[in-house]
Amino acid sequence: MSDRRIALVPPRYGPDVVGGAELVLREVAHGLTARGWQVDVLTTCARDHHTWANHYPAATTDDAGVTVKRFRVVDDTSGTARADLIRTMALGEAPTLAQQEAWMNDGLRVPDLFHEILDTAERYRAIVVSPYLFWTSFAGGLVAPERTIVRPCLHDEPEARFELFEPLVTGVAKLWLNTDPEADLLDEIWPAHAPAEVIGEGIPVPESYDPAGFRKRHGLGERPFVLYAGRREGAKNWDALLDGFVAAVRKEDLDLDLVTFGVGEVHVPPDVEGRIIDLGLLSDRDKDDAFAAAAAYLQPSAMESFSRTVMEAWLAGTPVIANAASAVVSWHCDRSGAGLTYDDTTELEQCLRFVAEAPTEAAALAAPGRQYVLDHYTWPATLDRMEASLEAMP
Amino acid sequence: MSTPASATGQRILVVTPYPPVRDGIGAYAVQQVRALRRQGHHVEVVSPWPSAAHHHLPLEGPKGAKALKKLMAGFDRVIVHFHPDVFYANPSTPTSRISTGTALASAFRSGPPVEIRLHEVDRRWASASEQVEASSRSGFVATQVFEQAARASRAVFKAADEITVHVPEHERMMIDQFGVAPERVRLVDHGEDFTRRVPDDQAAARASLGLPAEGHVFVCIGFIQPHKGFDRAAAAFRGLDADGASLHIVGSVRVDDPSALDHQRELEALESQIPGVHLHLGFVSDEAFDRWIVAADTVVLPYRHIWSSSVAERARLYHRPVIATRVGGLADQIGEHPANTVVDDNAGLARAMAAAVGADASASAPVSTWEFDGPVDRSAVQAEIHRRAAAQRGIKVKAGPSAGAAKAKPGAVPEHVATPLRRLRAVPPPPATSARPGVSTVKRLIRRVIAWEVDPLREQLVDLQRASVKAAETADARLDEVADDHVDRHG
Repeated sequence: MSDRRIALVPPRYGPDVVGGAELVLREVAHGLTARGWQVDVLTTCARDHHTWANHYPAATTDDAGVTVKRFRVVDDTSGTARADLIRTMALGEAPTLAQQEAWMNDGLRVPDLFHEILDTAERYRAIVVSPYLFWTSFAGGLVAPERTIVRPCLHDEPEARFELFEPLVTGVAKLWLNTDPEADLLDEIWPAHAPAEVIGEGIPVPESYDPAGFRKRHGLGERPFVLYAGRREGAKNWDALLDGFVAAVRKEDLDLDLVTFGVGEVHVPPDVEGRIIDLGLLSDRDKDDAFAAAAAYLQPSAMESFSRTVMEAWLAGTPVIANAASAVVSWHCDRSGAGLTYDDTTELEQCLRFVAEAPTEAAALAAPGRQYVLDHYTWPATLDRMEASLEAMP
Repeated sequence: MSTPASATGQRILVVTPYPPVRDGIGAYAVQQVRALRRQGHHVEVVSPWPSAAHHHLPLEGPKGAKALKKLMAGFDRVIVHFHPDVFYANPSTPTSRISTGTALASAFRSGPPVEIRLHEVDRRWASASEQVEASSRSGFVATQVFEQAARASRAVFKAADEITVHVPEHERMMIDQFGVAPERVRLVDHGEDFTRRVPDDQAAARASLGLPAEGHVFVCIGFIQPHKGFDRAAAAFRGLDADGASLHIVGSVRVDDPSALDHQRELEALESQIPGVHLHLGFVSDEAFDRWIVAADTVVLPYRHIWSSSVAERARLYHRPVIATRVGGLADQIGEHPANTVVDDNAGLARAMAAAVGADASASAPVSTWEFDGPVDRSAVQAEIHRRAAAQRGIKVKAGPSAGAAKAKPGAVPEHVATPLRRLRAVPPPPATSARPGVSTVKRLIRRVIAWEVDPLREQLVDLQRASVKAAETADARLDEVADDHVDRHG
C-alpha cells in the first residue's frame, strides 16, 4: 500500500458530466493530486445518469495527473424489481431486504469496477465512494470496508432508511459529511453509524465576473431575471418551480424572467414563452457570469446535502430563494443571512415579488453570502480537512 | 472482461450467489475469486440473480442447467458453489429432482472440468428408501419415482470431476451415500482464502466495542436465526456472571424472516432475564466481525443445524477457542484444535462454558437453572413455566419467579388472559389423507390446485393467533408486575 494513494469511486466522472457530487469528486481529485497524493478515479463509462449509456471507452486515461480508469456499465435487467419496490412504497409498506437488494441490482451494475476494487483495494490508503445511493458506491464500498470512506450526500428520502444501506453506513471506516444538518440526519436515521466527520466541500472562487458580457452574449437585454442551474428534473423539484413561476407570472405582471441552464428538457407553456429562457449547457466562465447577472438564484430542491449552486450564487453576490423543505439549504440561508426560503407557491411568489420590486434590498440581502462561502467552503480549507482525515486512517 | 487471461492462467467460471447481495456463500466465494484472480487466472462469475457477477442466469430447474451448460463452454474450468436452493425448486419434489438433476449432470459432463464446492445438500436425496420414509407416499410407483430421483441426485455429484468439502463427514457422505469415487472427493480448508482484517489485540478490540477489559468474554456471532441456537448459549450461561463473565450475542436479523424476528424477541427476553447476557443487534461489518472474535476469550457455536461454519474459521484465524455443538460437520471442523470443545447437549454446553471461566465444571453438572426464592410448590413451578414460555415467545418478563405467583395458594394455577388463546391449535393445512383407496391422491391434487388461495389465509390466521397470544401475554406480564408491586407494598 502506498501511504498517499487513494481511489475515488464516483458513478460518473469528466468535465462534461453534470452533477454536483461528481463535480466535487473531480475537484477533490485534482486538489489532492496537487498536494502530492496519487489519486486513481475508478468510475464508469457513462456520462448520462438517465440512460447510463457507455459513452466513454473502457480504458485508463490521464486527467491532469489523475489516473482515470473507466469500466463498462451493464444494464441488462428488466426494471421489474424497481417497479415492484416503488409499488410497495406507494402502498405505504416497507420493502423487505430482499426487495431492496433486488432493487439495487435492477439497474446499472459495473462488475468490472467491483472486481478492480477486489483486486487492488490494498494498494490504497482509502477508497472514497460517493454518493450513497448508487450501485458503484454500494457494491464498491463493501469490498474493503475497513479502508472505505463513504461520502454519502445524504438526503431525507425513503431510500436513506433502507436496511440495505446499513452495512455501508455502519460498517465502513469513515463517513465524510457536507454539513451539520446532514450529520443530524445521519444521527437520526443511523445512530450506530461509522465515525463521521463534517468535511464540507470547496467552491472555486472566480477571479472576476462579467454580467454585462453574459447578457450580451446570450441576448438577454436589460430585463431582470432569476436563475436556475442544474438538472431540470422532478428529483430537483424543477417542475414545481416552473409551475410556481408560471403561476406568479400569469397572476399579475411580475417583472422577472426565468433563465435556466443545465441538462433536462424544459417545457414552457405557450402563454409564457419568452419569459423562460433555456440556455442549455454553458461553459464554466458563462456559468459564473450567469450567477452574477441574476437578480436571484432559485433552489427548489428539497433533497440537497450541500447545494453547490447556492454557494456559487453567493460568491457572485446574488441572493438565494430556496425551498424550505431542504434542511441543509435552509440552514445555509439561516447561517449566512443571504437567502430566503419558501414553503409553498404563495411564498415563492412573494419571494419573487420582493426581488422584482425591491432589487436594491434584494441585492443587499446577498451581501453576507460571499463572506459566508469564503469563511467555510473554500478548497484549501476543505482539502486540509480531507488530508487530516486521510492521514488519520490506519 | 476485466481480467485478461494470462499465458499461464486458466479461464475459470465460478457459479455462486455473489455480493452485493448479503449471502454467506457469496461472502465466501468472493474471497476465493479474489485469491484466484491474484494467482493470475481469468475469473468470471455467474450468479443466480443480478449482482456484481459478470453474468447472471436464473439457475433453477432444467432450464437453468441448460443455460449454465451453454455458458460453461467458453471456460477451462468451472467451480460450482453448491447449495440446493440455487439449482432446485424449493421445496423440491422427486420429479423436480429428476428433471433438474438430470439436466445438471448433463451440464457438468459437458466440457470443462467441474469442481463442486459443497455447501449443503440433503443426504436423503441420495437414497430412495430414506425419501420414501420421509414422505407420506408409498407404493410401487412412488418407490420408482424416488429411486429415479435418487439416481439423478447422485448423478449430479458423480458428473463433477471433483467434489470439494470442508469436513470429513461430508467427504464420507459423498463417497458412501452419493457414490462418488473417493479419489474425486477432496477435503479443503474452509478458511484457505480467509485473511485477517484486524490486529490481534484483545484489549483494543474490547475497548472499541465497549466491553470490560477484565472478565471472560463469550461471543456468539452471526445472523440471528433459530437454528443458530444462541438461546441455548444464553440458557447455559446462567449463573456465570458471578465469575465476572459475560456472553455477547452479536448479529443482525433479516426483517423479512418472521421466524427470525420471533427468535430476536426470544433473545431479548433472555437478555432481560439472565444477568451477563448482552444482545448486540445490527449489521456487523467484516471488520467488526473480526473485532468481536478478537475480543472474545471463547467463541460459542451452539448451533442446532449447520453444515460447516465460517465463524469457526474466523476464530481459528485468531486462535480463539471454540465451544461447538456436535452437528453437521462442526466436530470435524473444529476438532483438531486442542483448546476447542465439542458438546452433545445443553448440559454439556453449560459444563463447557463453566469450565472455560474456571468455574467448577463438575459442580454444574447436571445443570439446573430452576431456582426458586420460596418453597417449591406447584404454583411456583407452574408460574415459572409460564414465565419461561412467555420469554421464549418473546415477551419480556422480570428475572426470577413472579412473587405473586409464588405466593399464590398451593395448587392454584393462575389463569392468564393468554391461556385460552395459547390453547388454540395453529391452523394446520387440510390433511391430504383418507382410508379410501385413491382418495388421498385426489385430495393431494386438490390441495395443490387450491394452495395459492388457501395458504395465504391459513398463514394469516396463524399470524393473527400468534399476535393475539403475544398481546395477551404482554398484558399478563404487566398484570404480574402490578400484582408483585401490590404484594411488596401490602404484604
